[in-house]
Amino acid sequence: MSASITRKRQGTDGSVGSSTWQQLWKYRHFYLFVSPFFILFSIFGLYPLLFSLFLSFTKWDGITAIHWAGLYNFQLMIHDELLWRSLWNTLVIGLLYIPPMLILAFLFAQILNSQWLKFKSLYRAAFFLPAVTPMVVIAVVFSLIFSSERGVLNYLLLGFNHVLPIFHFKAIHWLDSENWSKVSVAILVVWRWTGYNMVLMLAGLQAIPIDYYEAAQLDGASPLQSMRHVTWPLLQPVFRFCLLLSLLGTLYMFDEVFVLTNGGPGTSSTNFGLYLFNLSFTDFKFGYASCVAYSVAIFVFGASLAINRLNRRNSEAS
Amino acid sequence: MTSARKPGQLALRMVTYVVLSGLAVIFVFPFYWLLSASFKTQAQIFVTPPHWIPSHLLWSNYGELFNETNILRAFFNSVVTSSGSVLLSLFLCSLGGYAFAKYPMAPGNNRMFAFVLGTMLIPGAVTLIPTFEILVHIHWINTYWALIVPGAVGAFGIFWMRQYMTANLPDDLLAAARIDGCSEFGIYWRIAVPIAQPALAALGIMNLIGSWNNLMWAFIVLRTPSMYTLPLVIYLMQGEMSTPWGMLMAGGVLTVLPLVIAFLLFQKQFVAGITAGAVKQ
Amino acid sequence: MNQTTRLNLPATLIGLLAATGLLSGCASNPAVNAPPLTAQEATQPAKGTITVWSWNIAAKALQDISPSFQQMNPGAHVNVDITGASMQTRFMLSLAADVGAPDVSQLQITDAPHYMATGKLADLTAVAAKYQSKFPASRWAECVMNGHVYAIPWDLGPVAIFYKRNIFKEYNINPSSIHTWADYIAAGKKIVALSHGKTKMLALGISGLADMFEIFLQQTHGQVFDDSGRIAVNSPQAHEALQMMRQIHAAGITSDINAYSQEWMAGFNDSSLATYPGAVWLGGIIKDSQTHYDTSTTKWGVFRLPAIQRGGVHVANLGGSVLVIPKQCANKTAAWAFVKYALCTKAGQLMQYEKESLYPSYMPALKSHVMDRPDPFFGGQPVGRLFATDVQKIWRINRTANWAEAESYIQQDLSQWAAAGMPHNHLLANLALSLHQRLDVPLAPTAPTSTTSSAVQQ
Repeated sequence: MSASITRKRQGTDGSVGSSTWQQLWKYRHFYLFVSPFFILFSIFGLYPLLFSLFLSFTKWDGITAIHWAGLYNFQLMIHDELLWRSLWNTLVIGLLYIPPMLILAFLFAQILNSQWLKFKSLYRAAFFLPAVTPMVVIAVVFSLIFSSERGVLNYLLLGFNHVLPIFHFKAIHWLDSENWSKVSVAILVVWRWTGYNMVLMLAGLQAIPIDYYEAAQLDGASPLQSMRHVTWPLLQPVFRFCLLLSLLGTLYMFDEVFVLTNGGPGTSSTNFGLYLFNLSFTDFKFGYASCVAYSVAIFVFGASLAINRLNRRNSEAS
Repeated sequence: MTSARKPGQLALRMVTYVVLSGLAVIFVFPFYWLLSASFKTQAQIFVTPPHWIPSHLLWSNYGELFNETNILRAFFNSVVTSSGSVLLSLFLCSLGGYAFAKYPMAPGNNRMFAFVLGTMLIPGAVTLIPTFEILVHIHWINTYWALIVPGAVGAFGIFWMRQYMTANLPDDLLAAARIDGCSEFGIYWRIAVPIAQPALAALGIMNLIGSWNNLMWAFIVLRTPSMYTLPLVIYLMQGEMSTPWGMLMAGGVLTVLPLVIAFLLFQKQFVAGITAGAVKQ
Repeated sequence: MNQTTRLNLPATLIGLLAATGLLSGCASNPAVNAPPLTAQEATQPAKGTITVWSWNIAAKALQDISPSFQQMNPGAHVNVDITGASMQTRFMLSLAADVGAPDVSQLQITDAPHYMATGKLADLTAVAAKYQSKFPASRWAECVMNGHVYAIPWDLGPVAIFYKRNIFKEYNINPSSIHTWADYIAAGKKIVALSHGKTKMLALGISGLADMFEIFLQQTHGQVFDDSGRIAVNSPQAHEALQMMRQIHAAGITSDINAYSQEWMAGFNDSSLATYPGAVWLGGIIKDSQTHYDTSTTKWGVFRLPAIQRGGVHVANLGGSVLVIPKQCANKTAAWAFVKYALCTKAGQLMQYEKESLYPSYMPALKSHVMDRPDPFFGGQPVGRLFATDVQKIWRINRTANWAEAESYIQQDLSQWAAAGMPHNHLLANLALSLHQRLDVPLAPTAPTSTTSSAVQQ
């Protein structure tokens, strides 16, 4: 404290006395209080960002000397089938889980938002709990459930054949078949993130003033019609937000895939997040990994800007 | 709502209850399966048809877990790193948020805040490798610091605290405190922090979920078993061929339990913490 | 809010750039690595606790020999950590961070060169060079990089054909009459025909192609990389190897089940597959699978790998491991003493073979009468001897630092080639080119790329 007093005296007596400096001095606490962010960001955000950019033009294993590689890494990306496959897998996994997840989340939110429903918090807890639990544990449990010979899921599936003989289900190799591994990941993700999206949508629903519905009702709208003409348009921003979060989430998803399938069998469930991790910390191709991470991030950034602009133009037009 | 309940409406509600409850059971089932498997032998876990309810509670999985693995140490490590990162981030985010909210006249406030928001666009995937390298150079690999410090001040935390303080912290109160001779830090600490408690709780819970569940970064920076956190121990228990399933499930219960208990106690704050994310847009 | 979202990036960036100057100072890696192991140190008594990372039966084998090692070195204690998932990845992370590596670690032979190239493994040349003659030359070469020894061979993976006696008997085929791959194919055709396609000769799914390719490449004495590390895969030998695969594929005796898939494992116990070409360690997997099915009527036997031509090579190697000591190990004396006991003594290697069927690379152990014991599981055949035959003749594959990566690309390209029905060969030229692009390694001076070179073409 005493130090700041003496410095203050210097400040007032000093010849610096220009108004800017006085202003800065007056608000020194502001700068002090926000400085931790800027210091930590410089070290663990900005420096990595720049260093990573530099690394994109090098070959480096993180251990031996760094070699300048020019645009080599960028050329490499074109031939890197695994990169494209991982992006493709990301897309497929996303398409598999995002629609059912968002629809389920919307229905849950809609039901939980109705006034007649009892035990609301119980239901909400049941659906939301998966979102707060450690993925690694859950993925391990799911690997039990998905086990093709001794898993509960296949047991139930085959059980259907007895209950309803019109079905002829066969045991599905959830985790050891290239065709099903993505589906298994998608099921896990739906389970994990539906509650999360439900809560977001619930918040959106609760923000819709009740008079809108009353007005709709007065106009003779059925519940379905008011859902179509009131809820749906007003919930669109939330929907779009959930969609964006899910898309980014699929791209950078890691724990789910790492623990459940480790990207396999083969590379059938390797999404971009796992691919990048393997590139970085299994192959230790720090240069190339940086290049890929950068390129994809910039592409995603550009794409979301474009989509945003398109959206805005559309909403202006309508 | 009108009291004239048509029979059709009643039936619809019954169906809704049944379907909703069925789905709720499906969503809770993996937790149940985890818990019940932790009380089964390896053979019982894999038996077909499955034992839906364990015939008796077998405690030996927990016994083995405590005797054969360093699970208590891992629990301790998880507690230290999670509470460390939650507390540090709450402190720094609220301090920064407070400054952005309550010194609007400070030169550069708006620009600096915009910059803070801009940093949210940086995906973690891009900074992962250099951050690892920095930690190698400053010898922070295999220390608690590696899990606590790099993510300590997030742009979102600052944004969240700023919004709350702008809305809920009256300037008059601060001015009065200043007249009473309270230091600037004192005002933050004694007035802003208590008022911001709901926002702090939500933010803290968000951070807690993130740090307690963190697997990837722990995998990268924690190098010796004495430093492993719970998720890492769980992950590594899966052998290439032989996995001690019963013990693994017991460890899973231990990892999940603290968060589940916390969630059931503070459901409101959890939901608030998660909904907070939606404000980002 | 509105005016805040306009940000003046250049000004802020410059300020922060200055701040990062703080960090640019620490660019050099502090040397935490202890000096290399000298012959003198190796003679000192082994004391203290060492930690070993290993997996599966290999880890069990080390646990088996630890008591006798500790008896011989009273001050030493070995702690074998049967580590779970992603061990090699975590080992590399520990090497990169100079902290947290074990004192001794297992590595797969195909991955080892990548680790050797980091310069983070202890140079064992001074203490280990004298054991060179005790190991098959091909295997020893895989432990040496730039003239320095960084690893010691552990288990060997000689390849033979595991076959089902009951099926061979049913269709009246004498396994000892199979000398060449042509004989093998003929036998396969007979089995498929007589079983009306119910029984196939072997599984050649997409995931097993790289292994098959490597077997044939060794039999034709081909290479992926030449002696100076350039890409030499577009060679007459490799063409011949591909030709062999096509012949087998075209004979209609294969099933497209993937190796190590559930169907493949299930095939151990039914009559869908008659043979499994595989390395010695596959025997352990087969034995394990039988214990789950006491009712299995399958009777197993082994015959030697068919040669490409009569009088040709009957050996190849798939897989195997090594032990390495990281530079950061603080107790290299004890670590080396343990590695030496485990891998460079007859007692150590034979104990591992007898208890866990870990097949030694140490040739004095292979000469032991233990290898002559009949194995009741394989109908009383002395299987150990069969696999030990001619191991010195195993062809040396040049494993470069990027071998594991190259292998994954080979696997990818072979899969596509097979998916397209194994069409005529641009595969190798394309493979060479794509390895060149993806690994940034020069191509070897052009070898003849004509497809007519094959001696086995019929």
